[in-house]
Amino acid sequence: MPLYESVMQEKPPIVLDIGNAYTKLGFAAESHPRKIIPTEVVLTTTGETKLLFDYAGTEELYDQIVDFLQTIFFKHLLVSPKERKFVIVENIYGQTIIRETLARALFIHFDVSSVLFVPAHLIALSTLAVPTGLVVDIGYSETTIMPVFSGVQIMAAFKDHSYGSSAVQEEIKRQLLATGVKERLLTPSVLEDIKVRTCFVNSFERAYKEEKQSPPDVEYGICDDDAVISIPGSLRESVYELLFEQNNERDSLPHLILRAILDCSMDVRRSLVESIFVIGGGAMVPGLLARLKQELQHLLENDSYYATRFHGQLQFKFYQTIGKQNFTAWLGGSLCGATDLIQTRSLTKDSYLRNEHVPDWSNLCDNRNGG
Amino acid sequence: MSFMQPSPVKYACSCGILNPINKLFFCRHCPKLRCGFCVCHEIESHFCSNCLENIPSSEARHKKNCCANCFDCPCCQHTLSARAATVPIVRKPEEPKDGESATEATPSPKPSAMPTTKKMYYLSCLSCRWTTRDVGIPDQGVATGTWPDKECLYQVRFNTLMEYYQSLVLQEKQEKQEFLRRKTPKQHKFPSLTDRTGLTVSLIRRQIGWSDKSIPKTKPINIAAAEASAEVEALPEAIFTQPINLRNITTVAQRHSQPADQPEAVSKLYPQRRSLWIKRSLRCRQCEHNLIKPEYHPTSIKYRIQLFASYHVPEVVMVRCEQPLQSGQANAIFLKFTNPTMYDMTISVLDVAPQDAQISPDALLQACRIKEEAITSSPLLKTTGITLARQNSIREVKREVRELANATIVPLEGPFVLNQRDDSKEFDEDVQAPTEEPKFIVWRKGNKVLIRLDFTPAAELQSGNAVTLGFYMQYTYVNTVSNTPDKKEPTTHALYSRIFIEAGEIANAKAN
Repeated sequence: MPLYESVMQEKPPIVLDIGNAYTKLGFAAESHPRKIIPTEVVLTTTGETKLLFDYAGTEELYDQIVDFLQTIFFKHLLVSPKERKFVIVENIYGQTIIRETLARALFIHFDVSSVLFVPAHLIALSTLAVPTGLVVDIGYSETTIMPVFSGVQIMAAFKDHSYGSSAVQEEIKRQLLATGVKERLLTPSVLEDIKVRTCFVNSFERAYKEEKQSPPDVEYGICDDDAVISIPGSLRESVYELLFEQNNERDSLPHLILRAILDCSMDVRRSLVESIFVIGGGAMVPGLLARLKQELQHLLENDSYYATRFHGQLQFKFYQTIGKQNFTAWLGGSLCGATDLIQTRSLTKDSYLRNEHVPDWSNLCDNRNGG
Repeated sequence: MSFMQPSPVKYACSCGILNPINKLFFCRHCPKLRCGFCVCHEIESHFCSNCLENIPSSEARHKKNCCANCFDCPCCQHTLSARAATVPIVRKPEEPKDGESATEATPSPKPSAMPTTKKMYYLSCLSCRWTTRDVGIPDQGVATGTWPDKECLYQVRFNTLMEYYQSLVLQEKQEKQEFLRRKTPKQHKFPSLTDRTGLTVSLIRRQIGWSDKSIPKTKPINIAAAEASAEVEALPEAIFTQPINLRNITTVAQRHSQPADQPEAVSKLYPQRRSLWIKRSLRCRQCEHNLIKPEYHPTSIKYRIQLFASYHVPEVVMVRCEQPLQSGQANAIFLKFTNPTMYDMTISVLDVAPQDAQISPDALLQACRIKEEAITSSPLLKTTGITLARQNSIREVKREVRELANATIVPLEGPFVLNQRDDSKEFDEDVQAPTEEPKFIVWRKGNKVLIRLDFTPAAELQSGNAVTLGFYMQYTYVNTVSNTPDKKEPTTHALYSRIFIEAGEIANAKAN
């Protein structure tokens, strides 16, 4: 049976999207990931749980990645990684060390046959079947904006900022501590739960109103501790304000989107304005798109900087994701893995082993002609 | 024994990672220690951990690694159990209703209606009391199966997208091939009639019986691109005024356990098919022999092959230190050695690696070759003509053993013999005849020996620092598996392994 399987049958490639907080994993040509698991490893030596990308040295990162992949293969996907094809959805500005270590773990430790790295923003757009879009990815540790025109990423106009879901959680923690909640109750999982279940993005009109009736408070019971904390209504509506914070840096989310559009050449701006695509787990909060749209329109009309640079009647338009936002990039990887690209564009084991290096767009060696 | 606590005695695996002996394996063919990191994991069989049913791997893949009969609670991820309930059915004599509509059947006004009962099943969680009735899933007439799967909402769109991209990539590939064909110089000096394109050519080709030259080009199927809209979902006004009930809002874990739709309301939760579990077999990366192979059947916890290190390598247990640990002061540690094998062992404790001890590379090669031959000589492979180029991944970089030792040991003067394991000896009353023993041996009983090892913690250690002593334990191992068919005699290897012992912390300096 194993012989028959390995020789006669084509096995579906494995698609992995390893995020900072959650990892989406599944098989190509499937319409949703099999599992969404926290990107954490349980250390075999001490038994403690730590984030995958929290490491001191390359060796440690390698061990953690091996442990993590081992759990993915043998606990969740239940397939042997040997001689399998992989699609890895990656951040195009991700760290080289993580990319290289991941490739080393896959090729050398797990003996996989090929790996196809796909950039998250571009591949997310493929779920829409459109070639142009301004992809905004609101992740756990950062928010990134990448304009894509006719299937080409405009790298010069890439923008990012360190606010993501983790910044929102920090804000919840800060506000709750100010109301006198004990710090030991506010573990990351509790904060995440509060964020997901009670908070929302305030509407544009209310956010700038001075006097308002705050939404009802929520009594939140913490499972492990029998403690009940009160989450004030003002917290529920205000924590996401940090995405729209007005400051002199002018680097809130609407500003970044407008600046990313301005950094593109003039001919593509209108089509970008009309095709904004917000993905990532942070984009699943209620009210985000409505607020973002109004903020953008407001800035366009009232901010002199943008008013002089954008011309004509502009209307911001948004795409709807076909699945949930948090696995849109994975879905793109799944589509990509279903095509023949997996045969032609992958980094095969042989070519990796030749010089133990993953070709990278930012590396001059790989970009030379004929290189 | 310290079963639940981390052991203070660590063995260095052949890959350089330190592990307690109960996490190590011993490859008899290499023969070397192996750990979970440096062996190749393979999936032996799939089974459901709830109903303990064995599921063949092709079926498991088809079922998406889920059990067909068992469900998990979407609320607390506990297993759901089927509960029976008797539902009264009102049956009209003329048109009998089937079981599906039984639940909403109302008592008929006719007094002649015969009240009967029928067993209906629903799923219930015994941990959090969630039932399928909570979310409005109709009860089923059969206890197992027939629970409908939830369809993915955008499956149709996804399939269209997939077809679109597949045809797009295919077209690109064809164009590339066409381009390459035109660019390559002609093989023949003179153009042949059959090389050209056109109506005559296809006619000629068809007459010869060749395939048509021009493969019909695939055209990408049309797809409706997604449309961006200026209309976005506004925040409901009620959110500002209505209090929310946390009981009705799902947690992150609940959402992620249902990754396709990730519902926000508890009422949208749906029973989830239970994930399968696997039995793993482990294989040595170097010689490709199995180290662990479990019994196929899920209910069995036995192994067909089990090469745990604790069955082959002498076990070292730290008993105690003679004095409280002081930096720079000579001390002694008592170690208990146990022989798990059926052969006597000669053990020496050294502070440098023995030179001649390790297995010769020839013997290893021999072991590898034998295994390879066994694989390639399989008749099936020969007939199908498939060559299985089995590349074993010896490429994994070996690590240097981390030098942890911060104490110097005094190696034992000479080797000592560790008697074979003999379970019947445990019950023997008679005491062994006292023999001349080296003076470092404290006592000896059966296959166990307690020795006293002198050591000195390094002088620069502060109070509270952990003292680790490291030594090389050289032992003779009698290998009962013979690699060559002609040799039936068990071979004896002199092996060694590096052992690190956490002796404890430096005690507080005495107040003087």
